[in-house]
Amino acid sequence: MQDYKTEHPFDIRLTEEQQMTWDTLKKFAELEMRPNARKAEEDGMPSKDLLEKFKALDLVSLIIPEQFGGMGLKQDSVSRAISLEALAYGDLSLAMSVSLPLLTASIISDHGSEDQKEDYLTKFSSGSMFHVGLGINNTNALVDTYQSSVSVKDNGDELILNGSKTGIAYGEDAEVFLISGSNDQGDCNLYFVQKDKAGVQIETKEFMGLKTNSWCEISLKNCKIKSSQTLGGHNYSLNYESLIDSTRIGMAAMAVGVCQAVLDYVVPYTNERIAFDEPISNRQSVAFLIADMAIEIEALRLMVYKASALKDLGEDFHKQSSLTNRFAAHYAMKIGTDGVQLLGGHGFTHEHPVELWYRNLRAIGIFEGGAGV
Amino acid sequence: MIHPLLPNQLQKTQETMRMAAEFILRPISRKYDKAEHEPPVEMEQLNQAAADQKNSEVEDDSVKSMDLGGRNLWAVIALEQMCWGDVGLFLARPGTGLGNAAIMAVGDSEQKTKWGKRWVAMAITEADAGSDSKNISTTAELDGEEWVINGEKIYVTDGDRCDCVVVWATLNKAMGKTAIRSFIIEKGTPGFEVTRLEKKLGIRASDTATLIFQNCRIPRENLLGGKEEIDKDVDAAKKSFGGAMQTFDNTRPMVAGMAIGLGQAALDMTRALLAEEGYEDKFGASIGQQTAIQNELEMLEAELEAARLLVYKSAWMMDNKMPNSKEASMGKAKAGRIGNRISLKCVELCSMKGFSEDHLLEKFSRDSKILDIFEGTQQIQQLIVARQVLGKSSSELK
Repeated sequence: MQDYKTEHPFDIRLTEEQQMTWDTLKKFAELEMRPNARKAEEDGMPSKDLLEKFKALDLVSLIIPEQFGGMGLKQDSVSRAISLEALAYGDLSLAMSVSLPLLTASIISDHGSEDQKEDYLTKFSSGSMFHVGLGINNTNALVDTYQSSVSVKDNGDELILNGSKTGIAYGEDAEVFLISGSNDQGDCNLYFVQKDKAGVQIETKEFMGLKTNSWCEISLKNCKIKSSQTLGGHNYSLNYESLIDSTRIGMAAMAVGVCQAVLDYVVPYTNERIAFDEPISNRQSVAFLIADMAIEIEALRLMVYKASALKDLGEDFHKQSSLTNRFAAHYAMKIGTDGVQLLGGHGFTHEHPVELWYRNLRAIGIFEGGAGV
Repeated sequence: MIHPLLPNQLQKTQETMRMAAEFILRPISRKYDKAEHEPPVEMEQLNQAAADQKNSEVEDDSVKSMDLGGRNLWAVIALEQMCWGDVGLFLARPGTGLGNAAIMAVGDSEQKTKWGKRWVAMAITEADAGSDSKNISTTAELDGEEWVINGEKIYVTDGDRCDCVVVWATLNKAMGKTAIRSFIIEKGTPGFEVTRLEKKLGIRASDTATLIFQNCRIPRENLLGGKEEIDKDVDAAKKSFGGAMQTFDNTRPMVAGMAIGLGQAALDMTRALLAEEGYEDKFGASIGQQTAIQNELEMLEAELEAARLLVYKSAWMMDNKMPNSKEASMGKAKAGRIGNRISLKCVELCSMKGFSEDHLLEKFSRDSKILDIFEGTQQIQQLIVARQVLGKSSSELK
């Protein structure tokens, strides 16, 4: 049974505004992102031209308050999820070049102290995308999702940080890192750590996917920061669980976009590929894989919508986000692997994008804090 | 506005139906699972009590007659809760059969008035034709002002206890699906006999009958929808069969809703049994922080939620007069297989308690199997979805 209250009827139609956003971003994904994905992966970064186009979308400055140079638009979670799906339809890794700064700016906007907003949001508004490196991913596999592999010791006005975080985008561009740390009481918060602090070490990392971005790992050895460097200021207490839950919905929304790309690719391929004198999609073993793809994608999309709508209602969305995350982790990868399977040997090569989607989709359910709603 | 959430009013419906399921159906679940073929008199009483309580959500003429208008989502939700109680008993509840849905979908106004509120079963399947319903052999021949029906139908849900049956028959077998029509036949019509009741794996409270028609004569006006002659225009003829098949777009979300109610029942009971031994959920935790059971139950819950949203969407589309053939099949495919997988897994998670007749988990796992079969097997649903997604005809993708 439900524990939320609403008078609004059940509905699954995009508002006019959402439809416009969807159309614009989907077109951008198809025309600007998809054709450049392979090249950007080889280069390890998007082209300058593409980065300028990302900036021109104004998705980040859109949500930054006017006093910090943005447009001050309060975007609801459902609309955010729709935007993320549309972008990821082009390419998951490229979409993260937008979703990551957007998430970082949202977090600072929602939780930052006035000084922190002034320092960092103004830069986002003026077009800088990667000056804050968000560090959410833990280096240890067995750490609690809602805790950090960085420990925080309170030492009066000072905090002492130890441990490491990984999967941080554009470490070389960052001037500051915003990383999560857990204290002795089991509270997890975010902390601004200047790149040039003593005890900070940065190392470049490569992953099996998401290769259009450069990634790094940060290690902290007795790194001392002022307690005012806590996100929100001294003694600010962040609902870290809720933050992770929100980013999981965001990653699931992007998973929908990639999975839809897989489906839209295998349909014409299997309809045109002839074996035993007819299209391979005339066989149930092929056709049923595709039917199941369509079923699970639609289900995942509805789960993303529901979790986002619950968040917009201001209701507890922890369980819904967890279920969505689990479902996405399982089915996104199933669709990724079936996508390659349906193309056979061709799918295994760089001649088709399915192997790229396969590698990127392995991030779903693993990569935390890559996008938020 | 995207809002896949239930408004307060529908949540009240849920609560009312859940109460009925918990306090009326559950206490007699085991009794009628054991006493197969014994009509559950309590279900009559439930109908009576509800009828006495006018304007109550528990009883509603629109559900009884399957004339749902814009309330398909409402019906799915009500049904889901009833089947949280007991699928077999729900099916055995006098007054609602699939034939009612067919009459409401394709009947004329006289037929709706005459039979709409009777208990009408649906007879399609034959020994040599199941999912392949265009291949049926039961014949109908017009003789003066009467149709003469001959043939044998099997697996007719409510076939013994219903008031009348919608029977699918062919005007000319050589003409394939273009010659198929459906007819309303009342119980007691000479030449119409119930010859057998099946003993089954599950839903034992509900009767499943074999019906035989031997020179069974019915009035000419009992032809349900469609023309008396086979259309010479092949496309028009095919369309008429398509029309009959469209009944399923309406009924599939309902049957899928049943599977969701059952799946939820199994999960709830598993949690309750495991809680006695100290179990607690741990949603959202990383794999390393969960026990195997926490991990398993989280995934099953996610699967159920996924199926539920697909089914709600397909019913909501119907309410909004959107074509929903693909979505109805998506929901039925997913809900059917997940309801079955969940209930079987729950037996395993509860070990010997799950396997034991001391509890209802084993019964849920037997009842669930039929929900992945009737109203179109999972594979038929996959076929329908695949044809639509791939843009293929039934001759291309067989």
